[in-house]
Amino acid sequence: MSEPLSQIPAGMRYYCGQEARLRRAIETAVMSIFDGWSYEEITTPTIDYYSLFEHGMGPAQAHRAFRFSDGDGRLLAVRPDVTSLVARAAATLFAQRERPLRLCYVAPVFRQQPESHADWRRESSQIGCELIGANSGVADIELLAIVCEVLQHLGLDRGCSITLTDIDVFNGIAEELKLDPDSRDEMRRLVDTRNSSDLEQFLAQCSDTKDSHALSRLTQISGKHEILNDARESITNARSRAALDRIARLWSVIESLHLSDHFAIDLGDVSRLDYYTGLTFKIYVDGTGSRIGSGGRYDSLTASFGKAEPAVGFVLELDALTDILLGRTESNSPAKSSTEPVLITGTDLSALFRAAMDKRALGERIVIDSSEVAP
Amino acid sequence: MTKLTTKLTLAISKGRLQTDALDLLQRAGLSWSSDSLCTRRLAVEDESGCYRLIFVKPADVPVYVEHGVADCGIVGRDVLLEWEPDLLQPLALNIGVCRIVVAARSKALWNQFGMLRVATKYPRIAAKHFGARGVPVDLIELSGSVELAPVLGLADCIVDLVETGRTLQENGLSIVEVITQSSARLVVNRASYQLKAEAIGQLIRSVGDATQRRANGD
Repeated sequence: MSEPLSQIPAGMRYYCGQEARLRRAIETAVMSIFDGWSYEEITTPTIDYYSLFEHGMGPAQAHRAFRFSDGDGRLLAVRPDVTSLVARAAATLFAQRERPLRLCYVAPVFRQQPESHADWRRESSQIGCELIGANSGVADIELLAIVCEVLQHLGLDRGCSITLTDIDVFNGIAEELKLDPDSRDEMRRLVDTRNSSDLEQFLAQCSDTKDSHALSRLTQISGKHEILNDARESITNARSRAALDRIARLWSVIESLHLSDHFAIDLGDVSRLDYYTGLTFKIYVDGTGSRIGSGGRYDSLTASFGKAEPAVGFVLELDALTDILLGRTESNSPAKSSTEPVLITGTDLSALFRAAMDKRALGERIVIDSSEVAP
Repeated sequence: MTKLTTKLTLAISKGRLQTDALDLLQRAGLSWSSDSLCTRRLAVEDESGCYRLIFVKPADVPVYVEHGVADCGIVGRDVLLEWEPDLLQPLALNIGVCRIVVAARSKALWNQFGMLRVATKYPRIAAKHFGARGVPVDLIELSGSVELAPVLGLADCIVDLVETGRTLQENGLSIVEVITQSSARLVVNRASYQLKAEAIGQLIRSVGDATQRRANGD
């Protein structure tokens, strides 16, 4: 039986015209900001071993990839994530290079199962950068400063919210409760969905801690820096406390740079990607139902590829950015339509193309009109 | 400062939950003229102008909220378990309390080792439940009157939502096991939660207080 050739697989699409120009313009603008901060472009394989992604992203996320087997039976995946690939290159190909490594990329990622029903795309382009082997405190701020510059440049800094947390706040609590991996993941899910009623029940069951109610409030702790005091009241273990102190230090720098309007702290925002180890953040912009970017610290990822070093990075969703900017009809849109082309006409083929090539040599934009050419 | 200009859209499950949900919102301080609800209008403005209520089928509530068309929603946990939407669920509302159960004409069927035929509106919940214990099932997805399936021999048992159990009784079915409890949840879109933090925080607090007061019988 033949399939209709007109049909496009779910979650795939074409881009053309104004939308394609805008995508390219955003890509160029963001990559040039990355270049301005001395990030070097890297292109990664589109297809790689599934085990790499399983190891990097964690099985739950890697499972969403398109998978198939290689000739020798090993399982391959179409890149569902770029960070895992960059981290491996840093630990292997670039092992001898001088640190810090500053790398950036723009590349499509592919996911057979989207994360939410609203997220219908199965191919989406990510623009990202990774800073590997640099002092953590400085590196975290460097990346947040780049994010702010990008948002500002695209005119998205008003009505944006970059939410910060440190995954170690959660890890410290999970460690204190001595949770096995399954319970840990269940607790992460409950915190992530801010499900405080189920979380309180869960904590009452699995721990002998005196105060499951106080811990279940973790899901509700969000706001500006003043919430950190609030958090210190209910969270007492050393690992979580150290994480809270790191957020406090980061926040004071953000404040001194007059950027605190763009930021919020949300301790309930625990990421689903297993590789994050410290700071994590998500970027939201008015006018979308989902985040437009995210990032964080992944200090243990490179270790699993053979070279332990601190690393931090973020990605922006090119498709989400394009959707928002398409909806805004501002004159400073990054995609200016090109100049009107010069029409090249003629009856004689060689004369026609001589004229065309001459104009092109002058850098003019042309369009060939074939209507007068003899058949 | 942004509080006055931020408008929230709430998606409310039509049907079983609707009356209790509106009662709860009224206790939380929302108000609307009674005739705006009497009509067949699917969207109603709150008198303060801060809220817009939309009324949609239960299974559609997560769809509207996940896409961010509605910022928040009130929907049963059964729907959340079945559709697994990527949403925040900061409040259990203690309304629409019921159970998701396996019901059959007799318990005898549990001893058979063959394929169990299960009729349900909740294929994912049913598959997960029987999958966890390694029972092979033939899922028969129906959209209503599920109780009829065992009576007519279409299925060995059903997985369904049960409030009082009367419909089961009237059709000669009894509860074989309770899969989980369900009640209504306040759900919130992830981006709205961050971008309209103040307005949503306020809604969560006032609806939370109202839930507490309602439970205390005030």
